Amino acid sequence: MDIASGIQEPFDLIRLSLSERVFVKLRGDRELSGVLHAYDGHMNLILSDVEETIMIVDLPEGQTEGTGAVSMAKRKSEMLFVRGDGVILVAPGGR
Amino acid sequence: MSSLQGSVDKRVLLILQDGRCIVGTLAGYDQKSNVVLSDSKERVYSMDEAVEEIELGLYLVKGDMIILLGELDEAKDDAVDLSEIRAEPLPPVRY
Amino acid sequence: MLIFSVFKTLTDQQVTVELKNDLSITGVLKSVDQFLNIRLDNIQVLDAARHPHMMAVKNCFIRGSVVRYVQLPAEHVDTQLLEDATRREAANPSKR
Repeated sequence: MDIASGIQEPFDLIRLSLSERVFVKLRGDRELSGVLHAYDGHMNLILSDVEETIMIVDLPEGQTEGTGAVSMAKRKSEMLFVRGDGVILVAPGGR
Repeated sequence: MSSLQGSVDKRVLLILQDGRCIVGTLAGYDQKSNVVLSDSKERVYSMDEAVEEIELGLYLVKGDMIILLGELDEAKDDAVDLSEIRAEPLPPVRY
Repeated sequence: MLIFSVFKTLTDQQVTVELKNDLSITGVLKSVDQFLNIRLDNIQVLDAARHPHMMAVKNCFIRGSVVRYVQLPAEHVDTQLLEDATRREAANPSKR
């Protein structure tokens, strides 16, 4: 099988995103946008020029879900290793 | 985890999955990083009260529970007045 | 294996490890093993006022499975080399 010809398995999509900007959704209401430089079979990633967005839902005591105020925190890092166990999805393009 | 060898007989701080902090003298450990502490105490932090130290004595901690093991600078640790310290307890690890 | 090698090349560099309990610890990377357990020297906790728990800790061993991120020194990471090595490992996944 010639893997260079296209996408045969899910990891090929990630391979083709090497040196491109990717969008990463993580556990704990976190999202990243960064340039992908390395990954492995655990979906451990190394990204550069990363912007992280953390969604913080402020649920006041006793309030039902969906009524809390949502705030967002943003952070930048130059070079970031992301442990694979927190990764939910990786998509090409920085959203 | 061979790197624990250098910490044997030293005062160490353990942080556990559930956020607990335990200090003690590292008496021994094994392959799975199960750890035996002698002279150990749990330090309970709170915002309204001084740090409470609970004597645990000789204590075995399962390796799976340990998220961090740090060597204490004893002089520095002795210089800290725990009755002055107010802090949130560490949150548990969320995977 | 690949990521393990990357960390090995970064020994003696300053890194910041963010744990899954939201603690961030900066220190000099002293060693790393196949589980990506990390040993840091000369550590400092971010926001030490809020987290005085580790005030007197000089060096520490961090379990790989509780790491969320590691901020790496960009000037010591050769991104071209990383991409080539990643493609090589993807083509030959026997060593995963």
